[in-house]
Amino acid sequence: MADIVEAVRTRQLVKRFGQQVAVGGVDLIVPRGGFAGLVGPNGAGKTTTLSMVTGLLRPDGGTAHIDGLDVWREPIAVKSRIGVLPEGLRLFERLSGRELLAYNGQLRGIPKEEVERRSAELLRVMDLVDSADKLVVDYSTGMRKKIGLAAALLHNPAVLFLDEPFEGVDPVSANTLVEVLRRYTASGSTVVFSSHVMELVERLCDWVSVMSRGQIVAQGPLDEVRAGRSLNEAFLGLVGAHGHGGGEEGLSWLGATSA
Amino acid sequence: MAGRDLGVNGGVNGGADSGVSGMSGVGTGATGAVRVGPGVFVRLKLRLVAGGLRGSGTRLAGFVFSVIAAVVVAGFGFFLLAALRAAPADVARDLTTVLFTMQLLGWVFVPLLAFGLDDTLDPSRLALFPLRTGQLATGMFAASITGVWPLATLVAAFGAVVGLAPGAGGAVVGVVAVLLQFALCIVLSRLVTTALSGVLRTRRGRDVLAVSAIFVVLVAQLPNLLVNGGLAADPLAMLGGLASALRWTPSGMAAHAVADGGPAALAELAVLAILVLVIGRLWIAALRRALVTADASTEASAVRSSRGLLARVLPDGPLAAVATKELKYARRDPRGRVGWFAAIVVTGVLAFTMNGDGRAAPSLAVLAIAPGCIGALMIALQAVNIFGIDGRSLWMNSVAYGSARDWRTDIAGRHLAVATIAVPLLTVLAVVAALLAGELPWAVPAALTAWGVLGAGLGVGALTSVLIPYTVPERLNAFTGAAPGQGGVAFAASFGGLIAGGVLSLPIVLPVLLGSPWFCVLAVPYGLLVSWGGRRLAGGLAFGRYPEILAATSRAN
Repeated sequence: MADIVEAVRTRQLVKRFGQQVAVGGVDLIVPRGGFAGLVGPNGAGKTTTLSMVTGLLRPDGGTAHIDGLDVWREPIAVKSRIGVLPEGLRLFERLSGRELLAYNGQLRGIPKEEVERRSAELLRVMDLVDSADKLVVDYSTGMRKKIGLAAALLHNPAVLFLDEPFEGVDPVSANTLVEVLRRYTASGSTVVFSSHVMELVERLCDWVSVMSRGQIVAQGPLDEVRAGRSLNEAFLGLVGAHGHGGGEEGLSWLGATSA
Repeated sequence: MAGRDLGVNGGVNGGADSGVSGMSGVGTGATGAVRVGPGVFVRLKLRLVAGGLRGSGTRLAGFVFSVIAAVVVAGFGFFLLAALRAAPADVARDLTTVLFTMQLLGWVFVPLLAFGLDDTLDPSRLALFPLRTGQLATGMFAASITGVWPLATLVAAFGAVVGLAPGAGGAVVGVVAVLLQFALCIVLSRLVTTALSGVLRTRRGRDVLAVSAIFVVLVAQLPNLLVNGGLAADPLAMLGGLASALRWTPSGMAAHAVADGGPAALAELAVLAILVLVIGRLWIAALRRALVTADASTEASAVRSSRGLLARVLPDGPLAAVATKELKYARRDPRGRVGWFAAIVVTGVLAFTMNGDGRAAPSLAVLAIAPGCIGALMIALQAVNIFGIDGRSLWMNSVAYGSARDWRTDIAGRHLAVATIAVPLLTVLAVVAALLAGELPWAVPAALTAWGVLGAGLGVGALTSVLIPYTVPERLNAFTGAAPGQGGVAFAASFGGLIAGGVLSLPIVLPVLLGSPWFCVLAVPYGLLVSWGGRRLAGGLAFGRYPEILAATSRAN
């Protein structure tokens, strides 16, 4: 692994919010090509890490490199190489899907004709042609994820960062997303995505990083990380989950008998 | 965010003296209402403000700044009104009438003009609690008066009791009158904002609003016309005329009740109280409706994808992208529409009431120039937080921009969009002002100066947008301003932007006002220069601190 430059490499990435350490020295490694999954429980620091790697959140310490380029020192080179779908589907609500793609392409200086050509293809592949001229604010969650992904792909980035791309997405749209991403990675591009859905990560990824409490607790090829178990079992073991919620103590008032 | 949720739970449970009994009430299918006093809402609001201030130096500084400003306003208002005791009784009463009216109008318009000056509770967060309308009303009212500016208003208004009340009995009446005037300010302000946001969310609403903007401006001229009717330029007579025109407005009745006392005062108080209750009811009704009505502003089958003139003229690229996007937002986003509506109305009212204020017949130059300049400043006020409306979507620009130049282009696109709307508006304003002043040729210096002022205002706005950005909430239901705790930042941005824009405009406005109209040829180059300078500084700053701008404009409220 020493001879190749990783798609993503962070060293001792740290972010504090007030007293709370959200990310405490993360060394994220993602090899080039294929799918890499970033898994971890809520609050593990996945979103914070991805935000820092994509230049949306300033780290308090450490470095982040994409294709060997420092995210915070060489922003122009980095930003033209990455595509981002942040958490929370924050899109320009009052633009139509088509306008959103056009806006994105123009911001990145892609010629108008090219933007229109690529938009049309993306809209068709994402099955959004009928809704292309509706405002994004009226889109369903699945449609928003799809238009967000289309916007992130428009400039053909080398590395794609997706924060919870399948959260709240119906199976049909999820399938479309997976198909598009598979085609994208087939040519050697890299997708880094965070998820709670272990089955999906297991199915798609060849590389997994597990985060817990602001640290990477395991990282490597999928088979190495799960070590013969299912990823879910391996994950629960890694993050140290003890079966809360099944105990007898507490919550005695909860349920129909308590009135 | 966890803190906010805790605040809601803790607040409501803490106030319902037995949270458990409230819950079992729900379970057993009784009335289901929780016993919650207004105190809960006050505490909730205080917690939200405190939570909003935590961990941000900018926000804390903004808050301190607005507290200082409010204390100054409160003290100044109080002593001004109290000092009227030294004036002849009728003058004191008339002045109080006018000041009370100004206070009321201020409460109606200022929150519309500058989003975020007024941070309140988002009622949609209360929608799932079992609250009766009365509880919701008193609760929202209690939360609304918990704030720096409401307190300042109240303190200032109490000066009238000192200044006007005829005796001990009069003081009691006075206190009640002041409280009613204060309550009226709050509920009217809330009703107007809530109702407007409701109207603006329908497609027809904005057309109605465009017409009503003109209507409001015309109505605002009425007292003016009355005053102008034959009165000399005697300030006292002018005051008397204005006050008599306002005699039977709510504020007039409040002022008279304090000053006159007696049974008539009691009747006036009763009328005021009923008015407050009725408006309060209407406000809550509007609120309830807004909470369960879908935003119809977007319910089109499709938007026209025709490209505007600007898109065709501008070279392909980020500048055109941002400018056309901003123009679409001005049309499609209710928040954009409210801003423009308020700017136009306030400009109209302010600009053309100047004609009639009788101060020894202002010079031709003032009459012709001032409306355009005020309008330009008001419009520039819409641009003190240019990234605010983008808010959480701004990441899309951030991941594309890799240099200060990119950010400069972005800001230029936004300025271009503002100018595309503002320049024709200001031109019309200048022509109308010149016509009213009686000298059409003055429209030329008036328009040129106004454009220059706009440029200066935009230059300042670019800096405030980058240095003290704040969140404009996405939900217009409540018409909340900034997220709680951000009101101070919003105030600092608006107020600072206005003052700095005004000061920077002086070099071009003063010579013209003082009778050198030819000076106006320098106004446009000067405005362009200041806005270019502002963009240049702001672009560099934005590149250096865009993660912070992103965080500041995308706070949850």
